Amino acid sequence: MPPLLEVDDLHMHFFTRDGVVKAVDGVSFTLEHGQTLGVVGESGSGKSVTALSIMRLIPEPPGKVVKGDIRFKGESILAMSEREQRGLRGNRIAMIFQDPMTSLNPVHRVGRQIAEPLRLHKDMDRKAAWAAAVELLAEVGIPQARERARGYPHEFSGGMRQRAMIAMALACGPDILIADEPTTALDVTIQAQILELMQEIQQRTKSAIILITHDLGVVADMADNILVMYGGKAVEFGAADDVFYRPLHPYTWGLLESLPRHDVDDKGALSPIKGQPPSLINLPPGCSFAPRCAYATRSCGDEQAGLVEMEPGHFSSCRFAGDAGFLAQFENRSSYLSDYAQRDSQ
Amino acid sequence: MNGKPHTERAVEGSTFTEELARASMPILGPEGKGRTLRADAWRRLLKNKLAVAGLIWIVLVVIVAVSADLWVPRYLGDPISIDTTTAAERSLQPPSPAHPFGTDQLGRDTASRVIYGARVSLLVGVVAVAIMVMVGLVAGAVAAYYGGWWDAIIMRAADVFFAFPYVLFAIVLLALLGGGVQNVFIAIGILGWPSIARLFRSSILSVKEMEYVDAARAMGAPAWRILARHIMPNAVSPIIVYATMSIGGAILTEAALSYLGMGVQLPSPSWGNMLADAGSFMFSAPWLMIYPGIAIVTTVLAFVLLGDGLRDALDVKLKD
Repeated sequence: MPPLLEVDDLHMHFFTRDGVVKAVDGVSFTLEHGQTLGVVGESGSGKSVTALSIMRLIPEPPGKVVKGDIRFKGESILAMSEREQRGLRGNRIAMIFQDPMTSLNPVHRVGRQIAEPLRLHKDMDRKAAWAAAVELLAEVGIPQARERARGYPHEFSGGMRQRAMIAMALACGPDILIADEPTTALDVTIQAQILELMQEIQQRTKSAIILITHDLGVVADMADNILVMYGGKAVEFGAADDVFYRPLHPYTWGLLESLPRHDVDDKGALSPIKGQPPSLINLPPGCSFAPRCAYATRSCGDEQAGLVEMEPGHFSSCRFAGDAGFLAQFENRSSYLSDYAQRDSQ
Repeated sequence: MNGKPHTERAVEGSTFTEELARASMPILGPEGKGRTLRADAWRRLLKNKLAVAGLIWIVLVVIVAVSADLWVPRYLGDPISIDTTTAAERSLQPPSPAHPFGTDQLGRDTASRVIYGARVSLLVGVVAVAIMVMVGLVAGAVAAYYGGWWDAIIMRAADVFFAFPYVLFAIVLLALLGGGVQNVFIAIGILGWPSIARLFRSSILSVKEMEYVDAARAMGAPAWRILARHIMPNAVSPIIVYATMSIGGAILTEAALSYLGMGVQLPSPSWGNMLADAGSFMFSAPWLMIYPGIAIVTTVLAFVLLGDGLRDALDVKLKD
């Protein structure tokens, strides 16, 4: 059986007046039923564009898939007609946006907005869809759902709006739920609630989740697999434990090292990754992380192979990922791994 | 809300998350249940005293103008026909109980003429603005939605209209089309659409970028549905406000054109041509000028005040 979702060497470029922006330049991963994929990376690393490409929400032009394919249950989404794509969107693949304050339409009742995908895809009449919307609202933990469904977005708090967005995304029982930084705009206590809710729903519905975030802590809690992106490219992909405990790419090392930790001496400075992400118009040849990489050598500027499977199910794009001596540099230098090892043994 | 405090509705086995959600739920007002945006806007409008005054005045003028045939000729006299036998003795009478606004030089009742003039003014206001809104909405929507060449052509055409002085352009148009009420409609409509088009275009462009439009697309809604249900309702409120104010503007323009003899032709009364007619009696019979003048000022002001009130009432972001 083909995988639920397969992104195969996707290249999404934007053709602008200033040049070609290679927003996504070689990303591959697969997603199975019930799995959670965490996509991490800095701003501008192509996380959101990847998600929007799967939804086919990138306007063309200026966007264009120049290479690669996206397959849903073995069928190419890129080759589908607009009508077939609409049948997929909101129905089989649903999306939750970053800012719940702006992603609900202020002029419609919340219940009506949640009912809309049901009216579009399930051919329900107004009444049945409304009843289902009330039920969905209750399911995502909104009290007095019957009354609340009649309210307008401005009568909801941020956390409740994000719950309503989740209810809207869940309406048709999608196979894949794409959450683009679903908690970034919320405060920390609400973040935890929303993530808990998403996990609860996943256990119940067995849908797959693509969780886009720059919060490694969130990913650590939820993800089965992790895709690390940098400069529009996938630099590391593997099971969450592998990526956290045996990272195979210097960029991932940098990300892990820059996490603030409570267990290191309190006044110690954070160790950020130095430098700026590259401009996606003029990507350096070879490894795009090389200019910021503390371990880079001259050969890093050569043509790059893309993701290579280093151990079963664990991919890295670093040309030295197979070099045990190279990997030891990180293990020796960083207190990170020993800390985690200690914590696990406790 | 059923008025009970939340704690009384404690659900068995409710999770921590639910407790938190309940605690963080904002308290709704007594009318919180199913309060529609329209009802909300209406409530806000009624709080604005000036807007309510404007609304009452407009309703009053409309009622008087519409019902004029039923009572005006009987009690005040015919606005147009001249009773030649008595005209001389009845002409230019100052206001009196029989003729509250006095009479004109031909012995006709000024109040009657002002009331029938209101018909012309309201008709011009509503029809001319309807024309300009219809043309403007289509042009603005096409420019914003299709963009590119359409946008460039429509907006440059609008710029051409803005480049000429308004009244002068209207006079030229009426000179080409000929005078008369229908042509006043057309002239004001043609002159007004660029403003509406620009306003609607920018309004759509800003709404188009909102995340809920993306959310609607992510939901699988077709383009027409997104435009009709998600973009339009969020983009029209500035148009409602502008159109309301434009009715006042159109009344003023009609008055100006009629004053210049390009609009409504004598003997049909309109506020503008009454003013023009009264010019020669400014000192001997000032009531001939004062009453139509007051009618124009109050009615235009009423529409502007109402439009101003609507602007505040329709703003979703302005919460009490």
